Amino acid sequence: MITRVEKFYHPEKVNVVASYFVTYENGEVWSVPLDEANTDYQAIQEWISEGNTVIDNPPE
Amino acid sequence: MSYLGNKPTAVPLTSSDIQDGTITASDIADSTITSGKIASGVIANQSAFKNIIINGDMSIAQRGTSESGVTSSGYKTCDRWFIDNSNMGTFTISQSTDVPTGQGFATSLKYDCTTADASPSAGDVIWLRQKFEGQNLQYLKFATSNAESLTLSFWIKSNKTGTYNVALFGQDSAPTAQYLTKEYTISSANTWEKKTITYAGNTANGFDNDNARSLDLVFSFGNGSTYTGGTLQTVWSDYGTNADLFPTQGVNIADSTSNELFVTGVQLEAGTASDFEFLPHDINLKRCQRYLYKIHGQSGDQVIIPGATLVMATTNTVYATVPCIVPMRAAPSTSCASGATEIMLQNASTPTMGSFGQFDNSSVGQNNFYGCNHSVSASSGTPFTAGNNGGTLRTTSGVLTGFTYDAEL
Repeated sequence: MITRVEKFYHPEKVNVVASYFVTYENGEVWSVPLDEANTDYQAIQEWISEGNTVIDNPPE
Repeated sequence: MSYLGNKPTAVPLTSSDIQDGTITASDIADSTITSGKIASGVIANQSAFKNIIINGDMSIAQRGTSESGVTSSGYKTCDRWFIDNSNMGTFTISQSTDVPTGQGFATSLKYDCTTADASPSAGDVIWLRQKFEGQNLQYLKFATSNAESLTLSFWIKSNKTGTYNVALFGQDSAPTAQYLTKEYTISSANTWEKKTITYAGNTANGFDNDNARSLDLVFSFGNGSTYTGGTLQTVWSDYGTNADLFPTQGVNIADSTSNELFVTGVQLEAGTASDFEFLPHDINLKRCQRYLYKIHGQSGDQVIIPGATLVMATTNTVYATVPCIVPMRAAPSTSCASGATEIMLQNASTPTMGSFGQFDNSSVGQNNFYGCNHSVSASSGTPFTAGNNGGTLRTTSGVLTGFTYDAEL
């Protein structure tokens, strides 16, 4: 079960989200690409649709 | 030659005129029968990779050979096999060496109930599932009048005798996802039994030709009332009444901690049943690595991540590109066990090899089927020279987990 999702910004490109950091209930952390064919990405979209919020801390 | 009465009429000899066993192989000259004399379809299922199932012999277990305390769904132990469990008891799922004797199998998938749930909630399930890409199913000719029938074969053993259900669940929504459920019986407790079940081809609905999930094979080993008690459909049917999905499933392997269930030799093929297709270990592994690629060390060893290339982007950031061993189904999710993998660099300003930082889960967002690009920060300081290349990624000594790339369905 997903407990936390945070946007990961591309280290060089300005304001470009590169992937999601996802933390699961068992403590595992995964980097999930922005690919609609990826089932973890699909699960994040479902998690968002359930009213959860993605943490967004863009680099200054 | 003279005859009494009329001369007999010559009648061509047909196969029915020849008594069975009369003509033996030694009566036929070598190289006499050519392939052109064999009707199409007479010799069935001789093609390589006839088994739609991947890892049907349960021989590949990249995630590990045993996982205890399983109360939720996910991929556990044997590759490609998805465990559906919605709080229906607690299980240890493992790769077992308990196999049917003399059949060539070395491993099976084992369910061992460790906390019972004899009165499951209505929506609870304990199922076993494998999911298939639509592009691998096009040859079945579903949605045409030539749709191939499918035959499922498998070996199963449990102390729980009785009626079980196993279904093919279509997953593509257009025009309509359909399913077909069959039943079988485990007759003898704690005895390996081989089951063979045929599913008619679906002439109405087919599969999308892409890398997404189009069909599931689902074994029910128990479920709550939501999914049982309905009517067993005899043809491919639209999803509608949940009670029709596994209507005659009479067994719940979660109802006692004495329960065990083993399964292996799972084969799903077009046409009629044939012997299980054993693949070389390396081929079987690579087929699994399309969906999960795990790089890890052995106890006490360090393993260089094969093919990784490193570029020093800044004085404290390295981009590491790790190729996938085979093209993956989709851009994978990536994970790295904490402290499991480190970067070793030959740096112009620091010519001695050394550990400069530990790999984390960062990605620069260019993952694709063929590889992943990662952003790795130095553990301290600014040890890198921007623009330099070189170095290696390797697992830390004694660590059994490293990179995991996941593109499962």
